Amino acid sequence: MSVESRSLTDRLGAGVWYGYVALVALFFLTPLFSLVIASFYDGRFFSIVDYEFSVEWYRAALQSGSIRSAFMNTVRISVPVTILSTIIGTGGAIAYTRYEFPYQERFKLLALLPIFFPLILLGLGMSMWTSVIGLGYGIVPSIIGELVWISPIVMFVVSITALGVDPNVEEAARDLGADTLTMYRKVTLPLIWDGVVSGAIFAFVLSWNNYYIVSYLSGAQSTITTWIHGRMTQGFTPVVPAVASLIFYVSILLVVVAFVIEFREESSG
Amino acid sequence: MSTIETLRSRVGAATRSDNPLLTLLRPPYVLLLPLSILLLVMFVGPLLAIVVFSVQPDNSISLNPAVWTFEHYAEIVGGMVSGEGVYGDVLVNTAAVSAVTTGVTLVFSYPAAYALARKIERYKTVFLLVLIIPLFTSVNIRVFGWALFLVSNGVLDSIVSLFGVSSYPTMMYQRWTIILGTTYVYMPFMLFPIYLSLLSIDDETIAAARDLGAGRLTLFRRIVLPLSKPGVIIGSLFVFILSLGADVEAQILGGGSIFTMASNINYSFGYSQNWPLGSAQAVGLLIITLIAGVIILRTIDLREIASRGDA
Repeated sequence: MSVESRSLTDRLGAGVWYGYVALVALFFLTPLFSLVIASFYDGRFFSIVDYEFSVEWYRAALQSGSIRSAFMNTVRISVPVTILSTIIGTGGAIAYTRYEFPYQERFKLLALLPIFFPLILLGLGMSMWTSVIGLGYGIVPSIIGELVWISPIVMFVVSITALGVDPNVEEAARDLGADTLTMYRKVTLPLIWDGVVSGAIFAFVLSWNNYYIVSYLSGAQSTITTWIHGRMTQGFTPVVPAVASLIFYVSILLVVVAFVIEFREESSG
Repeated sequence: MSTIETLRSRVGAATRSDNPLLTLLRPPYVLLLPLSILLLVMFVGPLLAIVVFSVQPDNSISLNPAVWTFEHYAEIVGGMVSGEGVYGDVLVNTAAVSAVTTGVTLVFSYPAAYALARKIERYKTVFLLVLIIPLFTSVNIRVFGWALFLVSNGVLDSIVSLFGVSSYPTMMYQRWTIILGTTYVYMPFMLFPIYLSLLSIDDETIAAARDLGAGRLTLFRRIVLPLSKPGVIIGSLFVFILSLGADVEAQILGGGSIFTMASNINYSFGYSQNWPLGSAQAVGLLIITLIAGVIILRTIDLREIASRGDA
């Protein structure tokens, strides 16, 4: 076998791997493309042959009062969830990764277990529980409910970054006379900051897109995802793809930002 | 622990800090506290609520520990065993959807994870990003996207009609359409654990095996496959338990004609307003999830994942 033909088979082999991953990527993007295509179509049913581009449904979506109030409810839930879950999750991550304490592994088990639960189980358990303890339904119960699922995810993301930090740095800060607060402010937090920021972005996007938990806890208040679900099950309305696309655009933008932050940290560290 | 040891440790604790409350205000306890309180109140509480409600009589919406009954369990298990009523169908549908989804995601994820971990260098970030973005998009939006793709007069219809194909069997409201939905939604949970486990195999290990004369097949069977086993196990458990909870997929792509466990639970809660009956069905799901979740978490070592991030 000559050198040239060997490199050709190698290249063919590599091409097959690339082709396969590209097919998987295409599969992952198919429904999202469909959504975006449908959101720009001018009419009730669409076909590629006489496809006519239109932003009419976006205009309708932005002008509708019920959509605007669902959007405001989503913001009212996801902003507090982002702030609180970032604080709670980062606290858990620092405690778990920077200290030793009794029952540490059991704490990890309890703290990360909600991530592995089907959201429908969490949602219906919470809806019965809030009714029993008198918390009721609405924006506040939805915020608390989402925190249960999202804080552990923030803890997971921040822990991964925090485990990469050398404990000797904190030891050195203490030896140089830093008290606990100074150490956190000047040493620990700056070192894990990238993890905290991407954790916060993930928290926002997950809360922004949450369906199961809010559908059980939000009561009469509808959010964007429960609004979409309600319209979806009643049959096709052309404004639904436009609304769904709008929240997808926000997600994609933020996930790319979070990914770039994580990636930058990896390539420089 | 003997009494004298208990006393000694109490004395020790008392001398270390005069006030146990002050101990709680020091790290790491002050950092652990918010998450622990949140989870004890809003995670453990709801799980207990599911269990306790499952033994309450029909249509109770408040808890009464003095009155309890196993009639819902009898109804559900009886229905599943005899195959009568909705429960026989639910059992078959749920088992079929979860088992097939796990198998299909494994078969399609493994080569992709292998390619990403060991073969692909250019555009790797872009590929990873494409695989991650769906994870951060609402389940019902993604499932709705599939409905738009598959429905008659939908995107697929438009594409095949370009090639002159105008009639083919309907794609919606079949069991396999639900499986397509669950495969789509849960595939990242299979792909990423396998990807991480394949990423951790040292290049030296592979090179050594090659030097010792291992062919491609032997290399895969004796080296790559065993070393990626933890990823395969975690991924399979993940996909299995998560697809047991598939509700939106069944509602939208199954069109309400095919019930899975999760959609039936949802139905018991939403339409029939029968919390105890819904809870009794949820308890089975809860037990499976708890066991699988604990196994997954025992297998996952955060330290290891953190070190692989640099690879």
